[in-house]
Amino acid sequence: MKTVFEINEKIRNNNAVVVTAEEMISIVDELGAEKAALEVDVVTTGTFGAMCSSGAFLNFGHSDPPIKMYRTLINGVEAYSGVAAVDAYMGATQVNSDDDIDIAYGGAHVLEDLVAGKEVELVAEGYTTDCYPRKKVATTITIDDLNQAILINPRNCYQSYNGATNSTEEKLYTYMGALLPEYGNLNYSGAGQLNPMQNDYNRETKTYNTLGMGTRIFLGGAEGYIIGAGTQHSPNNAFGTMMVKGNLKEMNIKYLRGATIPKYGCTLFMGIGVPIPVLNAEIAKACAIKDEDIQIPVLDYGVPRRSRPTVGTINYNEARTGKVKLEVEVSGKKVEKTIKTASVSSYKVSREISKELQDWILNGEFMLTERLEPLEKYAPKPMKAKMKLVKDILSRPAVVGTIKMSITEASRILIENNINHLPIVDEKEMLSGIITSWDIAKAMAQDIGSISEIMTKSVLCATPDETIDMAARKMSRNNISGLPIVDSNNMVVGVVSAEDISKLIGRTGLNKI
Amino acid sequence: MKKRVFYWISGNNVREPVVSLVVLETGAMVNILKAKMEPREGFLILEVTGSELQVDSAITILKKYGEAEDIPKIIQKDDNLCIDCGSCVVHCPVGALSVDSDYKILLDEDECIGCKNCAKVCPVNAIKVFEI
Ligand code: SF4
Ligand code: SF4
Repeated sequence: MKTVFEINEKIRNNNAVVVTAEEMISIVDELGAEKAALEVDVVTTGTFGAMCSSGAFLNFGHSDPPIKMYRTLINGVEAYSGVAAVDAYMGATQVNSDDDIDIAYGGAHVLEDLVAGKEVELVAEGYTTDCYPRKKVATTITIDDLNQAILINPRNCYQSYNGATNSTEEKLYTYMGALLPEYGNLNYSGAGQLNPMQNDYNRETKTYNTLGMGTRIFLGGAEGYIIGAGTQHSPNNAFGTMMVKGNLKEMNIKYLRGATIPKYGCTLFMGIGVPIPVLNAEIAKACAIKDEDIQIPVLDYGVPRRSRPTVGTINYNEARTGKVKLEVEVSGKKVEKTIKTASVSSYKVSREISKELQDWILNGEFMLTERLEPLEKYAPKPMKAKMKLVKDILSRPAVVGTIKMSITEASRILIENNINHLPIVDEKEMLSGIITSWDIAKAMAQDIGSISEIMTKSVLCATPDETIDMAARKMSRNNISGLPIVDSNNMVVGVVSAEDISKLIGRTGLNKI
Repeated sequence: MKKRVFYWISGNNVREPVVSLVVLETGAMVNILKAKMEPREGFLILEVTGSELQVDSAITILKKYGEAEDIPKIIQKDDNLCIDCGSCVVHCPVGALSVDSDYKILLDEDECIGCKNCAKVCPVNAIKVFEI
């Protein structure tokens, strides 16, 4: 019907009709898709959220004498410099190498500081060659001192994202933010009805109507381009992503912000807007997608596995009200629970982006491009890595003690079996406590006579189906050296100690776990 | 209205039930946000809620037994830094943070009790909570 060329002509002549994706909803509702497609030329979209998979290629120019940089730090954050003598890639999630600064300052913050025009400290080490004799440089630079600062983000602008909640009794810190215990909150991300990829998605063919390699976009406050499908792009289930490129030197910290997700690490908040040329009714219809039509699968982040259990499904409209009702399982029973929702991306800034892009086009400052290629059709696969479960390293039968046992008896069991942890079971053989060799030593010194007086009663345990990594993390987080392993009836099936795990790592190498 | 004060009390007045007195005589509501009592002196942070008259007479009574000083502000949200993500809202125990109809995140300084939950989750350090 229409072509991008014709739309650009209209933009040039100041008579293009440009609306935001929010405005398009009511236009299509009122006129229908056919008429809306005649009426509207461009729909602008926007999103602003944490996009970890981001970074920039920086070229520092040659020093005198020249150096071949192999370890490059900017404000203490390492940039990958195995590219060429004076090129480096600063990844957004790279954390500061200084332990005192920790994860609160990282690659994303370096990028923000550069965009803000601040001075940053560059320290690079080289290995010397005949052509690159210099060993070290240490200097301060600003973004103006760089030859190029090119943002190339491998995976941005997720079309949809999961909501995250937490069924466990502990507060969890995840890349989706802090999750309060027992379904205390539900964090979600994304611009929903303003999201660029949602508005361009053809729900029948599971492809994108107009965007692809070569599409000119709004990127961090400047012009940028889509250069292909992003990593983990998964169009079949509406989880598309894109890879983007833009000139960092032209960007604005309003739309590019370094951030720290508490106890997780740093990430870059990126602002992206994509103009969608309304070439026909099908495209117009896709642009009228509403928050209530976009589903958010809610996953339980309390299960740290690749496939986290789905607790339910909500839509963006519900999420934005601040609370949702979900049927969840609490100690084996299904109960309806009202859960507070929290966004971890900004709908306000997403809106501002769609409006700013609208202004650019209306002012004739931004021309649309026709894509060179549609996005590739990938389907992401999981990593091919073996997983070991706790049950794989359990030696059976479990060595346990009883409450009635004397301390001497318990210590004999520890010595005979050459172990340090003894789970204590009750008459029904269910776990009721644990003692360690240290508890026994203390009991001896203090002249205490009964097991029940020295045992730890609230025992942290693991199940046979947990991964070894989860068990190891439980031990290190709680500063303990052994975990009783219990089945679903709370019967002890074994013990895993920190020693078992370190032996396993020592014997097979980390990669085998 | 709501007013927060540092309250310092010393000598024999330490044993006076000052807070109860204020409540009984003025009908104002008094929240004790912090209290540290020593043998000869006490230090409290109080939040007095009520009508202007109630709050004023509460302060007068307080001053009879000790020294009261206004706490102007315990929290500050830098709107230039804030990216209006909304991560902080659910972590506030008293509902001092909210989302308006334009999805801007608002902070009601008067409601804040200074727990710092929001400051801890904010990804861009937009919130400062002052020690009181
Ligand atoms: S400091 Fe605590 S009470 Fe005050 S706004 Fe933040 S979360 Fe709410
Ligand atoms: S968490 Fe920080 S950036 Fe996000 S809305 Fe709250 S104050 Fe603003």
